[in-house]
Amino acid sequence: MDVLRFALRKLLAGVPLILGVTLLSFTLMVHFGPDRTFELLGKNPTTEQIAELRHQLGYDQPFLLRYGQYLRELLTLDFGHSDATGEKVASLLARSIPVSLALVLPGFVLGNLLGVALALLAASCRGRWPDRLIMAAAVFGMSISFLVVIFVFQIWFCTSHGLDLFPVRGWGMADVPDYLRHVTVPTLAVVFVALGYNTRFYRAVIVEEMERDHVRTARAFGSPPLRLFCRDILKNCAIPIITRITFTIPAIVIGGALLLETSFGIPGAGKVTYEAIISGDQPVLKAVVGLTAMLFVAALLVADILYRVVDPRVSLE
Amino acid sequence: MAPHYGAASQRPSLQTADLRHAVSRRDVRRAWRWQNAGVLSAVPRKKPFPRQCAPGRALPCLLALVLVACGDRPVPAPAPDAELPAAEGIKTFHHSLDAAPSSLDPVQASNVYANHVVLNAYDTLFAYQYLARPYRLKPNLAAGWPEISADLLRYRIRIKPGVRFQDDPAFPGGKGREVVAEDVVYSLKRQFDPKNRPQGAWFWQGRIVGLDAWKEAGSDYDREVPGLRALNRYTIEVRLTRPYPQLLDTFAQGYSAVVPREAAEHYGPELGIHPVGSGPFKVVSYDTSRIVFERNPYFRQEPVDLAAEGYDPATQRYTGVERIAGRSPPFVDRLIIDFASDEASRWNSFTKGNEIQVAGLPVEKVDEVLESRDPLRLKPEYAARWQAASGTEAGFVFETFNLDFPEFGYHPDPVRAQRNKALRCAIIKAFDWEAHNQSWFFGLGNIFPGIIPPVVPEFDPTLSRASVTHDPEGARRLLAENGWTAEQLPVLVYGQMAGVRSRMFFEQFRAQLMEIGWPQRKLVLKQYATFGDISRAWKESRLPLIVKGWGLDYPDAENTLQLFYGPNGSPGSNDANYRNPEFDRLYEQASVMLPSPERTELYRRMNQMVIDDCVAITGMSRKRIHLWHNNVVALPDREIVGGFFLRYVDVLPPGESARPAEAGG
Repeated sequence: MDVLRFALRKLLAGVPLILGVTLLSFTLMVHFGPDRTFELLGKNPTTEQIAELRHQLGYDQPFLLRYGQYLRELLTLDFGHSDATGEKVASLLARSIPVSLALVLPGFVLGNLLGVALALLAASCRGRWPDRLIMAAAVFGMSISFLVVIFVFQIWFCTSHGLDLFPVRGWGMADVPDYLRHVTVPTLAVVFVALGYNTRFYRAVIVEEMERDHVRTARAFGSPPLRLFCRDILKNCAIPIITRITFTIPAIVIGGALLLETSFGIPGAGKVTYEAIISGDQPVLKAVVGLTAMLFVAALLVADILYRVVDPRVSLE
Repeated sequence: MAPHYGAASQRPSLQTADLRHAVSRRDVRRAWRWQNAGVLSAVPRKKPFPRQCAPGRALPCLLALVLVACGDRPVPAPAPDAELPAAEGIKTFHHSLDAAPSSLDPVQASNVYANHVVLNAYDTLFAYQYLARPYRLKPNLAAGWPEISADLLRYRIRIKPGVRFQDDPAFPGGKGREVVAEDVVYSLKRQFDPKNRPQGAWFWQGRIVGLDAWKEAGSDYDREVPGLRALNRYTIEVRLTRPYPQLLDTFAQGYSAVVPREAAEHYGPELGIHPVGSGPFKVVSYDTSRIVFERNPYFRQEPVDLAAEGYDPATQRYTGVERIAGRSPPFVDRLIIDFASDEASRWNSFTKGNEIQVAGLPVEKVDEVLESRDPLRLKPEYAARWQAASGTEAGFVFETFNLDFPEFGYHPDPVRAQRNKALRCAIIKAFDWEAHNQSWFFGLGNIFPGIIPPVVPEFDPTLSRASVTHDPEGARRLLAENGWTAEQLPVLVYGQMAGVRSRMFFEQFRAQLMEIGWPQRKLVLKQYATFGDISRAWKESRLPLIVKGWGLDYPDAENTLQLFYGPNGSPGSNDANYRNPEFDRLYEQASVMLPSPERTELYRRMNQMVIDDCVAITGMSRKRIHLWHNNVVALPDREIVGGFFLRYVDVLPPGESARPAEAGG
C-alpha cells in the first residue's frame, strides 16, 4: 500500500515535469524548428498556396491552442498522422520502437553485465596488472568514436574485405537465427563502445564500496570473498547501478541508435526521430518528446522503488 | 513459382553454375533459404578460417584487416557461393537509392526518390522510353498518342482497356478492378485538393479549363471539371486554357500517377504508405530503410520492342538488354530498394556481391575503380564483376543573384543599376568552375554557359564559354572601370545548407572573390539546418545569393527557363526575381509552341539574355556513374527515365554475365 501511495505521489509530482518539458520543447519546435511548409511546397508556389499549406499544417493557430491540442494528444496518446509519410504516429512508433529495442537491448544488457564483471575484477585486483589492463582497455574503447567502431566492425564482419559472416544491411526477426544474423554486429559495436564507460563507472562505485568500514570489518572477520562481494559490496553498489540503467532505458526506447540504424539499414525509432527532427514533422516530434518525458517519470518511479527493494533503509517518504 | 529467365530453360541451371564455382547445390539451397529469410550473406564456407585469422588471434587479425581494408587496394571479389540473385523460383533484384522517399502518395512524389517508387507501384499515362537518349516519351497506360485539336487546346487520350489495379482491401472483396478514364480524372483532381497537401499542382495550374475554379469551389470530387472529363470508360478529354506543349510530359510524372478513389478514401493520409496502383510491382513492405515489392501478377503483357524503346546497339549492347526483347516486364519477382543514405554502408553492401546490386560510384572511389573516365572504363579487376554507365544529370547546379537586393540587383538609380550589373559580371568572371569541378566532382561535371543544360535537345554546344571561364584579371578590371573599391563592395551573404561540404564550397568561393579584391569580412556564410529552412529563405527572398541545383521535371528547356520568368518571382521558382520584359515576352511566346527550330531559337535568345544580364553563375551538370553487378541486365537511370527502368531489369543466375561476349571486355 505504501508503495502504491508512493507511486501515485511520484506520478503526480511528474506532471509538472512533463508539462515543463513539453512546453519548452513545443516552444522550441514552433519557433525554432524547421518550418515544414517549405518542405511540402511544390516547385513554383504562390503566396496563397503557402498560406493554404500553413493552414493545413495548423501553423496559423494561436500557440496556446496548439499547445492545448498537444496536451490533449498526450493524454489520449493519439498524435494523429505524420506530416511526412501520412502514417499514424502511433503505428509508426509501434512499428519502430520494438525494432530499436531488439537492436539495442542485447548490447545494453551485455555491456552492463560485462561492465559490472570487469569492474569487479578490476576493483578486486586494484592497482595490479589486471586492473591496469582493464582500465587501459576501457580508455582505449572510450576514445574510439562510435562511428569508427561501426565502420570497422562492418568491414570486418560483414564484407568481403573481412570475414563476410553477416549482412551489411537489413533487418529481420523472422526467427532466432535470422535475428542473430542481423543483431550480432550492432551488438558487438554497442558493447565495444559501452564497455569502457560502464567498466570505469562501475569500478569507481565498487572501489568506493570496498573501502567502507563494514566491508573491511567483514573481511577481517574472515567473510568468504564471494559472499563479501555479493552481500556486502555488490548489493550496496546497486543504487548507482540502478540509477544508471533505469535512466538509460528511455533513451534506448525512443532514441534507438541512430548511427547503427543508418549504417546497417535498420528501420528503428532512432531514424524515425532523426528524420522527424530534420524535417520538422511535428506530430512525430510531439509524440517522441511527450513519450520520452513520460518514460523518464516512469524511470524515476521505478528507480525509487528499486532503491527501496535493494536497500530497505531508503524511505519511501 | 517457376524460375523466370525468359528463354530461361536454355540458360545454365543453378547446378551448372554452381559446379563452375565448385560449390555444392546444397550450399546454394541453404544460402537461398537465408536470402529468402531476408539474410543475404551467410553461405557456409568450404574453407576453414585462414590460419592467421583463427578466432584466438582475433584482435591482431582485426587490426591487420582494418589496416588492409582501409588501404588503397581493390575490392576483393566476393566468394562465388555468396552471390545469390536467383534460386528456388524467386528472382530478386536489389536496388538502392541514397535517400528515402517521405511519402508514396503520387500527389507528393516531388523528388527522385518518391518518383522511383511511385512509378513502380502506379501507372502513368505516358512514360519515357527506356533506352532512348535524348529522352523520348511513349504511351504507357495510354493506348496510343492522343488526338490533339488543331488549336492545341483539346487532347483526347484513350487508355488501354483491361488494365487492373492490384488487389487490395480497399476494393470490395479485396479484388482490384479495371482502371478506367474516371480514375485518371480523379487522380489529377487530387492535385488540386489542399487536403492532400499536393506538390505537383503547379504543372496544371491555370492550364486546364475549370480546374482552379473546381479547387476554389471546395474540391468536390463529384463535381465535374469542364476541362478534365472522362468521355467514356476509356477516353479522357483535357481542355486547356492555352497550348501546353509539355502536357504529355507532365502525364509521365509520378504526380499524375493513377490512383483508385477507393484506395484514397479507404486509407486517407495513409495512402502515403499503402500504394494501390496498377504498376508493374506491388508494395509488400515499406519502412525508413527499404521497400520491398513483388511482381504485380495482373500487370499487362506487353512484350518489349527494343527499337521502340530507343535501343542503340552501338552504345548499349554491353548492357545485355537484348535478352529482354520480346518478353513482357517485369522480369523479377521481387524488387528491393534499399534507402542507404550512408554512402560507406551502401558501398560495402554493393561490393559484398550478394546484397545491393546497383549503386552510384562514390567520388572518392573514382580513381580506385576507374581506369578511364572518358570513355568510361573500369579497371579489369572490377570489370570482371561489374558494369558501369555514366550519365549527365538532367539538371544543373548554379548560383543566382537575387536581383531584389539593391546592393547587387535592380536599383532605381540607372547608374547604380549599371554598376551593380558590372559587379555581378565580375563575380561571374571570378568564379572558377573548373576548380569547382575538379575539387568536388573529380572533374566529371559538364560545365556549360547559361541555363539550358546539355541533357535537353535545345542545348547549344557552340555557345561562347566566356561566362564560365575563370578570368580574375577581367573581373578586377570590370570592378575598377565601374568604380568599385574594397570599401564600396557590399556584404555578400552566401546561403547554404549546413554541412562540411557546403562550408568548403563557400571557402573556395570566398577565396576566388578575395582574389579580385573582395574583403574577407564582407563574404559571409549563412547556414541553414534543413532544406525547409533554406527554402523558406529563398521563397521569402531573404538571400542575396542563392546556391542551388535544379532537377529537370521533363527534358525541355522550358523547365529551366521558367526559373527566370518574371511572374514566377518569389515565392515562385524565379528566386533571382529576374524581371526582363523581353525575356518574359519570349517565354510566353515559346511556352505555347511545339518543339521546332523556331522555338529552339527563342529558347536560345532567352538563354543569352540571362548570360548577358549576369543574373547567375551558371552552370554545371554533374555526372553520375552507375555501377551494377554483371549478372544484372539493365541500364540504370535516375534522371528522366527514373523509376521506369526498374520494370525492365532482369537478373541472371550467379556467375553469368549479362554482357554479350561480342560486346568486348
